[in-house]
Amino acid sequence: MRDRETDEKAVPPLLKIEGISKSFGGIQALYDVSFEVFPETIHAIIGPNGAGKTTLFNIITGVSAPDAGAIRYGPRNIVGKQVHELVAQGIARTFQNVELFGSMSAMENVLVGRHVRTACGFVGAMGRWSWVRTEEEEARQKAMDLLRFVGLDSVAHTRSSDLPFGWQRFLEIARALATEPRVLLLDEPASGLNAVETQRLGELLQEIRGRGVTLLLVEHDMSLTMGVSDRILVLHQGKRLAEGTPREIQEDDAVICAYLGKGI
Amino acid sequence: MPGPFTVSEVSDGIEMLIRNLLFAAAILLLGVGVKNPYHLELLTFIGIHTLLALGLNMLMGYAGQISLGHAAFYGLGAYATGILTVHWHWSPWISLPATLALAAAVALLVALPMLRLSGFYLGMGTLGFGMIGFILFRGWSSVTGGDSGLVGIPSLAVGPFTFSSGVRYFYLVWGTVFVSFILCERIVRSRVGRALRAIHDSEKAAAAMGIDTSRLKISVFVLSALFAALAGFLYAHLVSFVSPSSFDFLVSVRIVTMVVIGGMASIWGSLLGASLLTVLPDWLHVFSDYEMLVYGLVLMVVMIFLPQGLTRGILDLYERSRNRREGRSPSA
Repeated sequence: MRDRETDEKAVPPLLKIEGISKSFGGIQALYDVSFEVFPETIHAIIGPNGAGKTTLFNIITGVSAPDAGAIRYGPRNIVGKQVHELVAQGIARTFQNVELFGSMSAMENVLVGRHVRTACGFVGAMGRWSWVRTEEEEARQKAMDLLRFVGLDSVAHTRSSDLPFGWQRFLEIARALATEPRVLLLDEPASGLNAVETQRLGELLQEIRGRGVTLLLVEHDMSLTMGVSDRILVLHQGKRLAEGTPREIQEDDAVICAYLGKGI
Repeated sequence: MPGPFTVSEVSDGIEMLIRNLLFAAAILLLGVGVKNPYHLELLTFIGIHTLLALGLNMLMGYAGQISLGHAAFYGLGAYATGILTVHWHWSPWISLPATLALAAAVALLVALPMLRLSGFYLGMGTLGFGMIGFILFRGWSSVTGGDSGLVGIPSLAVGPFTFSSGVRYFYLVWGTVFVSFILCERIVRSRVGRALRAIHDSEKAAAAMGIDTSRLKISVFVLSALFAALAGFLYAHLVSFVSPSSFDFLVSVRIVTMVVIGGMASIWGSLLGASLLTVLPDWLHVFSDYEMLVYGLVLMVVMIFLPQGLTRGILDLYERSRNRREGRSPSA
């Protein structure tokens, strides 16, 4: 029935979102949302404004806690874990409005991304023992590789706040990749990008998936979403409306009715 | 397209070494050259104030967390070693680690609830802590000597060699400053230093990079309290007498001003800010009653024209003029 179904059955899901509900005051932002994200796929979450996409993102990344439900990451339920703990376990994210460290160079931004994979503390920094120097050297090497990967190696030493907006988006992705995530959540990565940059982003997302990273993205750009996603979850008024491959979603009557706003 | 290099990256390696060598040479030369005991003492005080500013700069300039109560840690260092050596007859060298340990413990206790606050609220909270410190120094007279102070704090000595004369204490203080500079420079250039600056720039993004922001803020608060307590220790054994007025609210404000005027997130700015704020009140005596007025005016002018502090401001002016000479457009 579904073309990927047989493949996926063999592999257990990396993320399993189970019955997540969340309300703010009297507003039910999410209502009993469940879906599964399989390893090394690109999974998009779409839906009109106010559908609960960002709320769901914040719950998965540990920014806020759900009222009910569980998020299984491998064997563990990660609900209640703090943001920085989740990063160490391999869940990284980017922000809708680009949150770079503005006073630092592109290189330093990516180096901060290496934080969870390095160990030097105050004492190590003051002592500058040989393992600290080796660690720093390796971190710089990896950071440079990532800057090259996103095409920003030529501006490695430029202040991140001086970079054009589109480049900042790519820098943020490099920085998130520096944490060596297994799951990377991208919050509207194409917003503010021009057509050329959006196309480059699409290629980049596929290359990242090729590196063994699972991607979860919230995105408004439909051609990008339909083009790169393996699966798509549609949220509508806090509820799961549909879930499936891009083709299934495009042909889903409920989706067409609610989201694309076309009469049947 | 390339913008300006970030300051921390240009001055790496060899340049840093040369600068530190020049710094060491300057300290040595000043010690040899300055004969006037009054000037030597002024320079020694600049060194003590530099330690205060340096510690607060790690907290304020780098991690972006304000403390308006740092005089309490300065006083804690001075009173703790004063009490341990005068009342308990400890050797200052045993009192030093005890004093630092006490300061670290108090800082930890204060930081745990305090660093949940941010912005103005953190300012108010630390201000309150500074007040409590001051009230304790003054009110707990059976231990601290109250308003009349604590007298007879012994001078420092290693065997027969005492740090009594002006130039010896000068070298002791500036040796400490020199080592502290190197250690802080190393911190700033490390993984920890980047994490501190990350918190300053965006706490949200810092957490998203896996930085345990509350833990790091507490650590840097303790570090900065340690520097203040060390300065207090050196102060107490220099003047051999401590009284509450040396650690009141205005002193806390003065330390903050040193950091702001010298330059936030600038190790050398701490030296500049401490020098100005130590020498300036001395010169401003000429204006007697108008001292605070001139002082406030200086602060306003710096804030308006060089909001980044003098060090960064002067560096920017220098870079702009160099760019102009080389016919490049000035960088933002």
